[in-house]
Amino acid sequence: MDPDMDRAAAGFRTGSEEGRRLAGTLSAVARGDEAAMADLYDRTSAKLFGICLRLLGSRTEAEEALQETYVTVWGKAATFDSAKASAIAWLAVVARNKAIDRLRKRRPGADAGLEAAADIPDSRASAFDLLEDAQEGERLAGCLDELEDRAGQAIRSAFLDGASYSDLAEREGVPLGTMKSWIRRGLLRLRGCLER
Amino acid sequence: MSEDPAMNSEELDRLAGEYALGLLEGEELAQAVRLLAGDGDFRALVARWSGRFAPLLEEVEAESPPPELWARVERAIVPATITAQPQGSNVVMLRRKVNLWRGYSAAATALAASLALFLVTRPDAPVPAPRKTGEALVAMMSAEGSAAKLVATFDPARNSLIVTPTAGIQAVAGHAHQLWLIPADGKPRSMGMVVPGAPHRMAVPEPMLAEMKADVTLALSVEPAGGSPSGSPTGPVIAAGKLARV
Repeated sequence: MDPDMDRAAAGFRTGSEEGRRLAGTLSAVARGDEAAMADLYDRTSAKLFGICLRLLGSRTEAEEALQETYVTVWGKAATFDSAKASAIAWLAVVARNKAIDRLRKRRPGADAGLEAAADIPDSRASAFDLLEDAQEGERLAGCLDELEDRAGQAIRSAFLDGASYSDLAEREGVPLGTMKSWIRRGLLRLRGCLER
Repeated sequence: MSEDPAMNSEELDRLAGEYALGLLEGEELAQAVRLLAGDGDFRALVARWSGRFAPLLEEVEAESPPPELWARVERAIVPATITAQPQGSNVVMLRRKVNLWRGYSAAATALAASLALFLVTRPDAPVPAPRKTGEALVAMMSAEGSAAKLVATFDPARNSLIVTPTAGIQAVAGHAHQLWLIPADGKPRSMGMVVPGAPHRMAVPEPMLAEMKADVTLALSVEPAGGSPSGSPTGPVIAAGKLARV
């Protein structure tokens, strides 16, 4: 396995040494430390580029999304709260949001130009409480497994591949309304399972 | 204003989940975008759903970006100070355009001032390293014949500019939007690249802090990707405005 990926994956766990190091680096970035920014880039860009590339499917677009990601990180690192999220998860969500914003702009209805309002995980919202302990990934996986296969797969594909409702309906050969009700039911059950 | 009257809280949370997953299109997407812009509670719901799904990103394969990408990032975040720049015709043109924008309307300045206050005092996060503080400044930037509008606010507590593009700035492949500071000597100095669409902070480099004062002009020009190769503006100025005290 690529060592960068190993390190990045380890960083998903807030308790790990790499996780703590990254959180420290991100705090230094928040103070405007350019050397820390270069270090952060070295240690996380392969992971974040992987996320952008998987969602966008185009290297050129993934490069642009990655550049936007780090520009945003540079400007907004102070909003990262290490008590609520692991640094790599926070960075990964910023990168995914940049990539998904690009995908949304390709779709009708997206021309309001305000998607970026949700670029930054909102620390006020305790968005990342769920990431506080090392078991979170397994917990989410367990809850996704409890869903009907088709709903679990659709949710995964939306989040990781950027599939829209109509992409998913077409792929599964079902009417749009059917796909919506699978996923909506899935989201309700998932929320219930994660909050148990 | 926390709820769209047409939706109950269960429906709002569902829409937030669908938006966070990236499923929405058409009218539903437009509705979510409207809610995001105006409703902090909805933003919180979206963030919460993103947090729930974030662990999935752990399984995505890493892929090395091209080596030159770091240089692009660096250029965008660490603005180069311009050295020994002769005043070419572009600079003169830039200054002429800037002159058009002296004396911007009082109403616009008042709006900018209230926005600046909001941005500067927002209880966002602990201020990491307060240094010597100057005064908060704001510039409303626009230009005749251009749809681009933005608000640039100097946050003296963090030595940074908060740049809020409000209209007309579109990301175009192969082009960048470069922000310039034009002090009394008339020589534009690069402040870095503006990100279309998103409010963001740009660090003000130490040597330029002394220039962050009232009546200094900010201007935005369209440049090749990565910024002006010459270190001074080469493309059209699509917005400009003067810094004013808040």
